[in-house]
Amino acid sequence: MGEGKLKFAFYWAASCGGCEIAVLDIDEKILDVIHVADIVFWPVAMDIKYKDVERMSDKYIDVCFFNGGIRNSEQERMAKLLRQKSKILVAYGACSHLGGIPGLANLTDREDIFKKVYLETFSTVNPENLVPKPKVRVKEGELEIPEFYDTVHTLSQVVDVDYYVPGCPPAVERTIYALETLANGMLKGELPPKGSVLAPLKSVCDECPKKKESKKISRIYRIYEKVVDPERCLLEQGIICMGPATRGGCSARCLKVDMPCTGCGGPCPESPEQGAAMISALASILGVEEEKEKYSAEEVEKIIDQIVDPIGTFYMYALPASILKRRVMRK
Amino acid sequence: MGSKVGAVLVVGGGVAGIQAALDLADSGFRVYLLDESPSIGGTMAQLDKTFPTNDCAMCILAPKLVAAGRHPNIHLITHAEVEGVEGEPGNFRVKIRRRARYVNPEKCTGCGVCARECPVEAIDEYDEGLSKRSAIYVKYVQAVPRTYVIDRERCIGCGTCKELCRAGAITYEDKDDITELSVGAIILAPGFEEFNPVVKSEYGYKRYPNVVTSIEFERILSASGPYGGIVLRPSDGRIPRKIAFIQCVGSRDSQIGNEYCSAACCMYAIKEAIIAKEHVPTKLECTIFYMDIRAYGKDFEKYYKRAMEEYGIRFVRARVASINEDPSTRNLILRYIVDEKPCEEEFDMVVLSIGMRPPKNAKKLADAVGIKLNEYGFCLTNPLSPIETSRPGVFVCGAFAGPKDIPESVAQASGAAAKAMGIVASERGKLVTSKVYPQERDVLGEEPRIGVFICHCGINIGGYVNVPEVTEYAKTLPNVVYAEHNLYTCSEDTQKRIKEKIIEYKLNRVVVASCTPRTHEPLFRETVREAGLNEYLFEMANIRDQCSWVHMHEPKAATEKAKDLIRSAVAKARMLRPLKKPMVNVIPVALVIGGGVSGMTAAVELARQGFEVHLVEREKELGGNLRRIYYLLEGEDPQEYLKNLINEVNKCSNIHVYLGAEVVEVSGFVGNFKSKILHGGEIKEIEHGVIIVATGATEYKPKEYLYGVDPRIITQRELEEMVYKGLFNAKTVAMIQCVGARNEENPNCSRICCSEAIKNALKIKEISPETEVYILYKDIRSYGFKEKYYHEALKKGVVFINYEDSRKPLVVKDGDRLRLVFWEPVLKQEIEIYPDLVVLSAAVVPNPDNRKVAEMLKVPLTKDGFFLEAHMKLRPVDFQTDGIFLCGLAHGPKSIDESISQACAAASRAATILSKSVLELEGIVASVDEDLCGGCRICEAVCPFGAIEMVEKEGKISAHVIEALCKGCGTCGSACPTKAIKPQHFTTEQILSQVKAILAG
Amino acid sequence: MSEKEFEPIIVGFLCNWCSYAGADLAGVSRIQYPPNIRVIRVMCSGRVDPIFILEAFKNGADGVLVAGCHLPADCHYLAGNFKALRRVLLLKRVLKEFGIEPERLWIEWISASEGDKFAKVVSEMVKEIKKLGPNPLKRSGGK
Repeated sequence: MGEGKLKFAFYWAASCGGCEIAVLDIDEKILDVIHVADIVFWPVAMDIKYKDVERMSDKYIDVCFFNGGIRNSEQERMAKLLRQKSKILVAYGACSHLGGIPGLANLTDREDIFKKVYLETFSTVNPENLVPKPKVRVKEGELEIPEFYDTVHTLSQVVDVDYYVPGCPPAVERTIYALETLANGMLKGELPPKGSVLAPLKSVCDECPKKKESKKISRIYRIYEKVVDPERCLLEQGIICMGPATRGGCSARCLKVDMPCTGCGGPCPESPEQGAAMISALASILGVEEEKEKYSAEEVEKIIDQIVDPIGTFYMYALPASILKRRVMRK
Repeated sequence: MGSKVGAVLVVGGGVAGIQAALDLADSGFRVYLLDESPSIGGTMAQLDKTFPTNDCAMCILAPKLVAAGRHPNIHLITHAEVEGVEGEPGNFRVKIRRRARYVNPEKCTGCGVCARECPVEAIDEYDEGLSKRSAIYVKYVQAVPRTYVIDRERCIGCGTCKELCRAGAITYEDKDDITELSVGAIILAPGFEEFNPVVKSEYGYKRYPNVVTSIEFERILSASGPYGGIVLRPSDGRIPRKIAFIQCVGSRDSQIGNEYCSAACCMYAIKEAIIAKEHVPTKLECTIFYMDIRAYGKDFEKYYKRAMEEYGIRFVRARVASINEDPSTRNLILRYIVDEKPCEEEFDMVVLSIGMRPPKNAKKLADAVGIKLNEYGFCLTNPLSPIETSRPGVFVCGAFAGPKDIPESVAQASGAAAKAMGIVASERGKLVTSKVYPQERDVLGEEPRIGVFICHCGINIGGYVNVPEVTEYAKTLPNVVYAEHNLYTCSEDTQKRIKEKIIEYKLNRVVVASCTPRTHEPLFRETVREAGLNEYLFEMANIRDQCSWVHMHEPKAATEKAKDLIRSAVAKARMLRPLKKPMVNVIPVALVIGGGVSGMTAAVELARQGFEVHLVEREKELGGNLRRIYYLLEGEDPQEYLKNLINEVNKCSNIHVYLGAEVVEVSGFVGNFKSKILHGGEIKEIEHGVIIVATGATEYKPKEYLYGVDPRIITQRELEEMVYKGLFNAKTVAMIQCVGARNEENPNCSRICCSEAIKNALKIKEISPETEVYILYKDIRSYGFKEKYYHEALKKGVVFINYEDSRKPLVVKDGDRLRLVFWEPVLKQEIEIYPDLVVLSAAVVPNPDNRKVAEMLKVPLTKDGFFLEAHMKLRPVDFQTDGIFLCGLAHGPKSIDESISQACAAASRAATILSKSVLELEGIVASVDEDLCGGCRICEAVCPFGAIEMVEKEGKISAHVIEALCKGCGTCGSACPTKAIKPQHFTTEQILSQVKAILAG
Repeated sequence: MSEKEFEPIIVGFLCNWCSYAGADLAGVSRIQYPPNIRVIRVMCSGRVDPIFILEAFKNGADGVLVAGCHLPADCHYLAGNFKALRRVLLLKRVLKEFGIEPERLWIEWISASEGDKFAKVVSEMVKEIKKLGPNPLKRSGGK
């Protein structure tokens, strides 16, 4: 290992693996990384055991990029371990930043998930009705697997996090920015304030090239229901776009291919919650032009009926990071 | 002629005098406010509560007292009287005698040490003699000015006070002095004197300790009164169980020469009965003995009904013949006659509803000022010039012009101010000084240091919430460095204290826990501003209206709730930031909607002051309802008056009249309205600074009593026209009162119908003395001086027959004839008559256009559809929205003189704005953090005022707030998906801190 | 010791011009109502951000009342109340997904002259929320 070089680590928890690929999406820039840093832990690319990490001295790792949320005991244990071994812990990607898509599991709990996955789906053949248990006795002895939690947590809900890199997965420019900022910062001792989200302050709209005119909308369309005018703001055409409530830094990559933003960048800096912010914004402008005619509860309900799956729409990535975090189960 | 003087003398510092003074001072004139007593406040300062809202009198008066006391253009001259007036309108020289006070007001701090140590006990006039004060005294705790005075009649000259006074304010050698003032106009508002019921020996007042007057009882009810707000019998301090109220003591009584009705007693008796029941924890029976219940004002009838139905107050229509005391119990035995049967009933206590008399020194004042008094000794006025005295340039308002209640006094006072302004308009701004505030302290960067002031509000809060406990609690809250509790946090002395504490403790945020910010926030903001803090570094917790008053039976829960509310206010205070107020230019032009007598009067009054007026009338001619009024009760010719008024309007070059026109759109804000007038098929756009709503009202089209079925059944209006046109020819006329009023559908009284019926009855008797006239009524409500005509009608043989809702008269067609069947309560039998005419006294109903106008102007209506003023008692012609005023029938049913007074009042209130070239606006507006705004345009789409524009910078757009258009509603802040647009003073972080704090209990 | 009766805490967001004035009028008229409500004054019901409501529930409110000027024409700011209505009705659907009974969130129109209505709304709300029981968040452990 090179003298004076930084030590980087990458780890994944509850995530799809996209973030691992996103690191490589920076293409030849990865060579620059290797130039300034040694990668000391990266299970997806290296043969290394947890025990090796445990053996590292505290703060041995300079920067650990942690992707994925925390939904089982193994992930929690690794988050705590890596926190202990790292000078800087970065929540990398929407899942560790906000809980991500797996975080939608917070609308239910372990029991229901297991029931659905192991017992109820059509493709499941499970005559003995077996569901995973943390400890199982087999003839060889007792088998132990990580405990599956009821609730998906963001990384910062489990351990102290220094920086966040938003995105599902983070855009190339975000990854480069994070690597450069943190590498240079470590070397020069000029790090951004702790807790920073390593992204611009403004929303996706600021980066979106589409033309914005009037936000008074009267009908909601799903993307397949309409041929959109590619020049104009999708929200103004009735397509729910999370862009206004979502922190930018992705160069509006979805909008550039005429797909609405689904909100992976998370809330804007001063917005306490992305979902509620968009609920309020959308409810404010939807039907605003006819509001003086259509204001009975039935008529307003009808207007709202157009929003299919509100929670999936407004909380696609950030449910575990929302104010209420999860659904209260009545059991 | 000498040059004019831009100053006005107001004689009398009661609520009317104060209102007139404030309007004048706010419109750029110097005001001398003179009162005979050592402090201003008048009768209202003695009252516990006011009808019909049961507002605490002191609570709503105190801010006005303080405002008058601290206004740079109002010079208080207390303990003084007018000795003579010379000169002419525009330039009077007034000789004033200032009576020796023996305390130097410049030095006295009002600390009260002198009074505590004074060995003399004297009678406390403020408490109506029910308690004692010292020889050196201040009239009441909240008195303005809070300067002591020595009662030399009582003072024994012991020197104790002089020795104790650290300020060196005592001057035994003080003498009366005479000064001369130059003023352009004079307003008389000396109020009234209470009738002394000793004259009515049958009631035993002063002989029996448990017979008290209504004003004494008012003091007994008051938290600051002799018994601390607990209702006790003066004889033995026992809580009474049965109280009788006797109405019309010294009113409607020709035996003693007070023929008139005192106009306010029915309502104050009902109020006192309600409040007594609220103040007495045990069961209390209240009975009101009356002749007619005169609940004729706005929403009064509802109040009367509630008193009966909710509070179980008993109303007995009977005159009490005598009161005798049982010497053993000191209970009182009342003898009265009901249904011809003599009754005897025992009560613990009797309250005499005493009438209003002309002020004690009315004659002296009239002589000194050179004005005439009327037959009763009140100021002489004319119904068509209700504010003018017999001497030009001298105006009158309040009870001196005739018995009246507070809102009417206040409206008339503003009206008198307008009249005075009309005379000295050319001198506006010449004798005034503008208020200078200390340099604002920069508190940004300082750790919050919060001071909390918690109000007992007498017992209004302190009686239910454990204020000391709450104060101790407040001290434990984060960033609170000081907390105290006050008897009245709004009083002048507490304002001084707050300022001292701000300096002493280096406070940079202030929280007051008292009543509602809707009435008191301006006062406290002013106070913190005077102490060098930005006025927005202030927050209120409403622990009275929304806590102590609504949880009177749960003191523990109320105390806990008060703590929660204070914790929330403190949490918000911690987050408060100083704000700047935007300034706007004022367009000195008024829009008056409605060209009836009210609208025209308001227009003329403003034009007289040099302001331009647009007068819009929907009909093809001016005049409104007055066009169809041919006689007045008092004899004047209304048509002549109307003709002259229209002439004056047409002659005035700065009044633009639009007939057959309609205001179709209004936008903008105080000082800068833009409106569209549809006139002759074209839209004219005008710009103006204020709006006066004078849309009038109409006569109810009866559905009752076969109206419309038979031509012999007509309304009073139609009768009047018939008489005027000489078409009247009937031998028997029956009038039915309260048609379309005082019923389920329209619970309120239409106020003028009784007088109208009497007017027309008298007219009939004049032209056809042999015609029999019957008036079927529920209560005859000929209030004030109108009572005289009721007597006259009785004398002329008009037959008045009382009916009740359970036995309404019946009109049927009997062949060719009309048959009227009614119950005769004295004979106790059904009577049938065959009238030639049945005249229905139809209610005054709101203009159906009111709803449209209200929507356009964004101002509220009452439940029955009249316009709803900002405050029933003290802001009778203002709307809650700045720059919009109302007057006349649009406000509620009223007579012509009252409409004229109110129209002048609206003009005066409007002038307080139009007279300024620049107006300071509210600082609560939205502001955009450009670093956060993504330019999504959602705020722009939701702002109803067009206050958000998008600005481009380097190819990107972001939102920008036009402050003068922003009304601070905050809708944009909630809609903003990035929270870049922040409604100041109600920011997300401020409200969230409140949410968290309020739930942290 | 007997179990103390559940006393819900209700957070009320009242607009300054109508509902807050109505609540003041209830006070002035001495209309008694249960002491369970804690009022936060906002200038307009249109200022009420769903975030405030979610935070209130998170912090243990058993009910939230949003009250403004009557529809369609009473809003002092022309149309803030319409925004409030749509936000609240949409938020109710989301609340349901979060396992919080939408019946805990009320939106009412109370004018400055309706002191009686304010008192009635509070009394009814307290009654209804007592039936629902405490805020479920207070019972669940968080998982």
